[in-house]
Amino acid sequence: MNGFFMTAYILLWPVASAAVLLALIVALVRDMRAARKDGNSMI
Amino acid sequence: MRTATPMQEADFFKLSTSTALMLLVGFYGLTFLLSLLIGKKKENVDGYMVSNNAIGFGLSAASMIATWIWAASFYASATSGYRYGLSGPLHYGLWGALMILFIYPFGRRFRQLAPKAHTLAEVIQARHGTSSQLIMAVSNLIGSCISLMVNFTAAGALVSILSPLSFIQGVLIAGLGVLSYTLWSGFRASVMTDFAQLIAMILAAVVIIPLIFFNAGGTDMLMANLGNLSDQQSDFFSTKAILEQGAPYFVAVLAYAIGNQTIAQRLFAVREDLIKSTFLTATIGYGAVVIGLGMLGLLALLVGLDPIDGNMNNIIPQMASTYLPPFGIALFFILVVGSLSSTADSDLSALSAIVMTDVYGKNLARGKPDPKRMLWWGRVTMVVATMLGVIFASLRLDILVMLVFVGALWGAIVFPVIVSFYWNRVSNKAFTWAVVAAVALFATARFELVPLVGAVGVFFELCASVGLGVVVGLMTFAFFSRNIAIAMGVAAALVSMPYTVGFLRDYVVLLSSLTAYGVSASVCVAISLRSNERFDFDLLAERVTSFHQDDEPVAKNRGRASTGGGRLAAARA
Repeated sequence: MNGFFMTAYILLWPVASAAVLLALIVALVRDMRAARKDGNSMI
Repeated sequence: MRTATPMQEADFFKLSTSTALMLLVGFYGLTFLLSLLIGKKKENVDGYMVSNNAIGFGLSAASMIATWIWAASFYASATSGYRYGLSGPLHYGLWGALMILFIYPFGRRFRQLAPKAHTLAEVIQARHGTSSQLIMAVSNLIGSCISLMVNFTAAGALVSILSPLSFIQGVLIAGLGVLSYTLWSGFRASVMTDFAQLIAMILAAVVIIPLIFFNAGGTDMLMANLGNLSDQQSDFFSTKAILEQGAPYFVAVLAYAIGNQTIAQRLFAVREDLIKSTFLTATIGYGAVVIGLGMLGLLALLVGLDPIDGNMNNIIPQMASTYLPPFGIALFFILVVGSLSSTADSDLSALSAIVMTDVYGKNLARGKPDPKRMLWWGRVTMVVATMLGVIFASLRLDILVMLVFVGALWGAIVFPVIVSFYWNRVSNKAFTWAVVAAVALFATARFELVPLVGAVGVFFELCASVGLGVVVGLMTFAFFSRNIAIAMGVAAALVSMPYTVGFLRDYVVLLSSLTAYGVSASVCVAISLRSNERFDFDLLAERVTSFHQDDEPVAKNRGRASTGGGRLAAARA
């Protein structure tokens, strides 16, 4: 089995986790700005 | 860099008492301070259960991921990787992730029909009546109590393994810590703190997985040790992994999603137009983190790790102890504490919502709930649930039987619950008898109350084939039309029959789980077809409304809305 493929198979998941985390943080910042602008509570 | 060595004699690295206490106090202290940001002197009961029904994408998706990742996710995924090799982590994490994906189309339907709901049992009561509601509420209550206990147990185990503190001390710290930040603001605090906890968890996972991989020898170690795997372990399409791990879990995915109030609560809390994006992101996030940590089990297998005392739950702590520096172990500590705390606070919120809505609001208050009293019930529930969770966790009870029972109950209610919101002929009688019959036959098969041989074995295998058809049909129905779903379900049942008969009796877990689906669907459809009842789904939005409007109980308005609703409206009051 290919070494590169195996390494990628194992390390793909933390990379995907980091990407999801980034997307969530960006979304949160946008929501915070929108809530502040509209004077609404986020929760 | 440390080299890969067999670790049979390795001891766990232990954090000092002061470091462990500092991490725990720091974690729960910061979380508590965070919860103060949203604290209100006068909480709103609806907000306490489902926030403002308009939570944004970032918070809701993060909360969904954090809630569904619990301590057992890591251990079970790593165990799967260790046992089944390359495909093992996928057979745990992928199906768990798909659970979130498959439920969202049904969730959108529930939300569309009852936008102001607090619990799924509440909607079931509006649809069918009290007996169906109680089945749903009791299954949710037991499930959340067990989850709470498991998470506190995991805290005790982690603390006792990685520090000089005792198991009981770990359980108590986790119990008090989680209660402290959840008690006042309920679900709102849970969602808010979930975000911070998820950031900590993902950052820890992102650092820990590559660190262990490279410290264990990286690609060179992988290539050198791949030959040690058995044929099944090195096969991405291992039938052993599919039959023993993937398939039973796949069957359970819908059951977990339908049967767990924590999912329903978030479904009713997120802004309605964000349900799809929230659930899709949660699917990817959950899958990535859990599969990633499952890879530690695969690495453990490759380096030749032997779990201490043969306990598979030791795999990840052993890997962390061996291949991480003290800083990494502290990160691992936070990862596990974050995962168990985020799930435990969601369980507390779920339990309080069920007691507030389904026990007090719908039954004890006799249709006239007082919001202040309701809030009192919610907070008392949290305190009592935490006490019970701590006590039962301290007793270290064998929860396997309870988990099996709850799993069956959830498997038995999936079809009746889903179909109740699409087919107007399903009656309370059909719902109740479907669940009772399915649980009875599940127990018969699961505990082998009769020998699964001869005609009996064939009977259960045929039920299981129908169950497989039901699972395939429901999953198809999530994304396609009813006719396609029925065709797929029937085809799956027919095609599987020649393979299941005479074979599936050797896989009792899978057989009994599928039996629950098959029997509940068959009984539900049979009784519904004989029913003359035709339910008007528009009534659900009228019957399920907010409890709190401008500080006034809404019982008067709710009473008016349900007038003329016939037998079902009477059942609601």
